[in-house]
Amino acid sequence: MQLARALVTRLFFGVLSLLFISFVTFMADEIAPGDAATVLSGEKASLETVERLRRQMGLDRPWPIRYVEFVGHSARGDFGKSLYGIKEDVGVILARNLPMTLFIATCAISIASLIGITLGTFAGVYQNKLPDRFILVVSTLGVTLPNFVLAPLLVFFLANKQGLFDLFYQTWEVNRKDPDFYYLFLPIVVLSARPTALITRLTRASMVDTLQQEFIRTAVAKGVPRFRLYTVHALRNAILPVVTAIGTTFGFLLTGSFVVETFFRLPGLGSTTIDAIKKGDMPVVQACVMLTGALFIFLNLVVDFLLPILDPRIRESQV
Amino acid sequence: MKKRDWFLIGGAIYLVFIVAFAAFGPAIRQVQLYPLAKQVDPAITQFDVVREAVSKKPFQPPGTGEAFLGTDELSRDVVARLAQGARVSLLVGLVVQGIALVVGVLMGVLGVFGPKWLRQPIMRFTDGMFAFPDILLAILIVAVVGLGILPVIAALAVTSWPSIARLVSTQVATLKDREYVVAAKAAGAPTGYLVIKHILPQLSGLLLAYSMIELAGTILAESTLSFLGIGVQEPDPSWGNMINTARINMNSHPVMLIWPCLFLSATIFALNFVGDGLRAYFDPKS
Repeated sequence: MQLARALVTRLFFGVLSLLFISFVTFMADEIAPGDAATVLSGEKASLETVERLRRQMGLDRPWPIRYVEFVGHSARGDFGKSLYGIKEDVGVILARNLPMTLFIATCAISIASLIGITLGTFAGVYQNKLPDRFILVVSTLGVTLPNFVLAPLLVFFLANKQGLFDLFYQTWEVNRKDPDFYYLFLPIVVLSARPTALITRLTRASMVDTLQQEFIRTAVAKGVPRFRLYTVHALRNAILPVVTAIGTTFGFLLTGSFVVETFFRLPGLGSTTIDAIKKGDMPVVQACVMLTGALFIFLNLVVDFLLPILDPRIRESQV
Repeated sequence: MKKRDWFLIGGAIYLVFIVAFAAFGPAIRQVQLYPLAKQVDPAITQFDVVREAVSKKPFQPPGTGEAFLGTDELSRDVVARLAQGARVSLLVGLVVQGIALVVGVLMGVLGVFGPKWLRQPIMRFTDGMFAFPDILLAILIVAVVGLGILPVIAALAVTSWPSIARLVSTQVATLKDREYVVAAKAAGAPTGYLVIKHILPQLSGLLLAYSMIELAGTILAESTLSFLGIGVQEPDPSWGNMINTARINMNSHPVMLIWPCLFLSATIFALNFVGDGLRAYFDPKS
């Protein structure tokens, strides 16, 4: 029962942090100079016109009332209209751009988990031997090398130099509507580099820890085959902190694909946010920040709910 | 000597080099975007200046004339740009890290020694800020304050103190129960004196090591924002926006990409090596 209560508490805090994010984004618009009325009525409008528009839009009411309204509308998925261009519904903009971000982030985290856990286990098993050293050096590189250094290097060497240009690079530049997904290959590779390195290091550390424990020695003494020992006995125990990390890393990927999306000019949430900031399109910025924040909180919640399922110790200790 | 020491020394040597480069480089080689003609004739507009610059000698290969590493798309000396970029990046990093240290230490200490009703809220707030993705918050702040160097400093300062605060509070919480602290307390030392004279000096080495690693993160974050075009703005150079402009001309002049990438990555590596090396000395656990 205690477990249920802990989970409910987590859920409560999740909703609370979502409210906090909505408050911060709302206040950001309040503090920023100018409001929707000044932008919409244009630079040459008289003060009177701006004031009239402001009253029409209800922006002259005190902010607490407007905040409650803002939360109510956001909860129903109504984020208002963009201030620029054809004044499109922000919800429509989000719906158009979210799939790309979700797709590349999901691909990246799947690749990262697969490669990371495999390499990490490998390195942990061969601790301090040559493969381990090699994997450690590469993963250190992967953790520290910034995305926007890696991306141009990969594009330059793979796409431009090695004649893979047509396959990976030009497709998205010339006809992005191409049904094939070749053009997503490099973005996903770049996006998955850092998570892969992180997961590798974490898995290795966790494996090294686990392999020193007594139940492993017991299993060895019982004559459990090597492969089974490492996968079923050791990895099963070592993987728990890794799962937590995968969850949070996935959250960071969803919120942090700005660089990759901007570099490869993919129509995703990140590039939309950056464009909106440069234009000063506050409703779009607000909606993007809230959506990515909500995704982040949601993923952390999923991890919280997943851990007791994977780890009987957590289940037992809290029942 | 252990391998880690070599990394520490190598990193430290590089850092000395980069600081000297940032400090003296811009004075030795100047960016000549605005030719002297502008001072003579005020009718010359910025557009003319840029056009003249472009018509002069853009994209000279390394080693031609005075330009050791060649010139960029506006005929500016790449070495001079790199030096100024180093200055901006290091300055932003150091200022932000300074603010983060002050706020972080204050919050960390208050979270342990503060008035009882304040401790829990401070710790929860710090945890919340720590868990929240930095870049989202930085983007919101940039959206409010605007673009440029100062907004970047503001945005990064707000996002970078929680990790210091967490480190300080856990360390202070363990140091609090050490015998010498308890003895000082028994001898009647007031809390402020206790913290400043007995606890913080113990932490200084560890804090130095951590802020090196954090500094790497801050410089990286500044470059990221500048790369995205919402950080340091042209004509102010930063390694981030230099990479961004180089990326635009990537297909015709890929060499331009190498230098800012190299300097940025090397600086981040060096800071991490030095930070890790120092931590090994100062952290009792490792």
